[in-house]
Amino acid sequence: MPFAPVLHAEWIKIRTLRPLVGSLAAVLVATVAFSALASADAEETDPLYSVFFGVSFGQIAAIAFGTTAVASEFRGGALRLTLAAVPDRRRWFAAKATAVALPVLATGLGTGLVTLLVGKAVLGDSGPNWTEGLRGAVGCGVHLTLMALFAAGLTAVLRSGVATLSVLIPFLLIVSFVIGDMSSGVADLLPDRAGQVVLHSAHDGALGPWSGLAVAALWSAAALSAGAWSLCRRDA
Amino acid sequence: MTSIDVRDLTKEYGGRRAVDRLTFGVRPGHVTGFLGPNGAGKSTTMRLVLGLDRPTSGTATIGGRAYTELRDPLRRVGALLDAGAAHGSRSARDHLRALAVSNRIPAHRVDTVLERTGLAAVARRRVRTFSLGMRQRLGIAAALLGDPEVVLLDEPANGLDPEGIVWIRTLLRDLAAQGRAVLVSSHLMNETAAFADHLVIVGRGRLLADAPVREFIHARLRPRVRIRTTDPAALGGLLTRHGHDASQDADGTWTVRHARVDDIGRLVARAGVPVLELTAQEATLEEAYLDLTAAEAEFTAQPQEA
Repeated sequence: MPFAPVLHAEWIKIRTLRPLVGSLAAVLVATVAFSALASADAEETDPLYSVFFGVSFGQIAAIAFGTTAVASEFRGGALRLTLAAVPDRRRWFAAKATAVALPVLATGLGTGLVTLLVGKAVLGDSGPNWTEGLRGAVGCGVHLTLMALFAAGLTAVLRSGVATLSVLIPFLLIVSFVIGDMSSGVADLLPDRAGQVVLHSAHDGALGPWSGLAVAALWSAAALSAGAWSLCRRDA
Repeated sequence: MTSIDVRDLTKEYGGRRAVDRLTFGVRPGHVTGFLGPNGAGKSTTMRLVLGLDRPTSGTATIGGRAYTELRDPLRRVGALLDAGAAHGSRSARDHLRALAVSNRIPAHRVDTVLERTGLAAVARRRVRTFSLGMRQRLGIAAALLGDPEVVLLDEPANGLDPEGIVWIRTLLRDLAAQGRAVLVSSHLMNETAAFADHLVIVGRGRLLADAPVREFIHARLRPRVRIRTTDPAALGGLLTRHGHDASQDADGTWTVRHARVDDIGRLVARAGVPVLELTAQEATLEEAYLDLTAAEAEFTAQPQEA
């Protein structure tokens, strides 16, 4: 079976579900709103991160998007109908992942730009320079996409949106805000920590902006591979 | 002409055999009723045919090929498995549109099947607002979307109102008349008798019968004759003398088992017993099925272990 019709079908499925469109809007709103608040507060000392502080919140919406898009297949026998239409499971899952990634990437890049403009307007001269700022905007788009894909892969393994969110949300909140602040080292290699290095002006850990995104990409690739493996192995 | 061929199909779940060396065929131009109690392995067999579950051993092919090898499978095979497969937040139309696009089915087919299943008026409503009967119709619409030569429907009459049941009966007969191979599972005997012309009966994963409906009933149960008279005593004596197995019902009519009206009619006419009513009674599919399962239970009964 060719890939394009399968991708088109998955895209129709995503844009005809209101909760999914809603979580994409939430990525933008949450990131921009929390970033603007943080910029105004200016307690954050890292100039770039004070602009992109809200990504920590926006990524929860991106995770919700990736989770919901895949979880909608694991209810009421939807997956059986889907796989009856597209029996090549790898191809189908690749189409699903692409249909998840592209809208998040577009939304994430847009969100990054808006956040940067708002942050520079609020911070003025104390804000990051344009080169650094644009790196942050692109990084914001890529990071959000990788988080959505990580969630999508995990959902295919766990076969449930509730299970995925109840693993990922506490993990992000606790690991990022509690453990992450206390220790560096291993915690820096966790997907959301590694992916957010690109949003900082200064990076003291082992990872730089792009190597950080590469580590996050490895996590997403691992989750997607596990999801594809589980999908191919199990009965639908 | 495409048919379904199931050969030695076996599926085990953790040591329990859901489907046990099942072999049967579904021929084009017929509605094949797939009968058996709940848990007999009907749905599992359908999932195996569609390549959704992997068989432990054996094969299921469609037109000689495994389902997973078909190109644009919805154009060859249409299936209804779960009425809940459509997402509640999506409209019926969008649900079908995504399916059509995935298999490069022309967009106008979406409207055609919505019309055919009587959902055109509610096509833009979200599936969440549908009754079970409407969801069932949407599932059937999805099965018919690619104008397939082979149709598999798992309990399609579930949740349908009386009008819907008449509709599906007609639909199934039409599909077969157009030369399609139609497999319809059910646990309702008399409903199946109303549309099927061939039967595949399973019990505990095994094939119990594979025969045309009429043949199956006649092989298991002989016809009966119902007769009413003004002189029950004379009639009773006459029937007994001629070795008929007859009994009188509470309302005064007599039932003669294993007999034909031609014989009984002549017999009572010659004896001059007045007749008020003489009717041939065909055995029903339900009776034949129960006769089969009773025989099967006796045949397979194992000594109980303490």
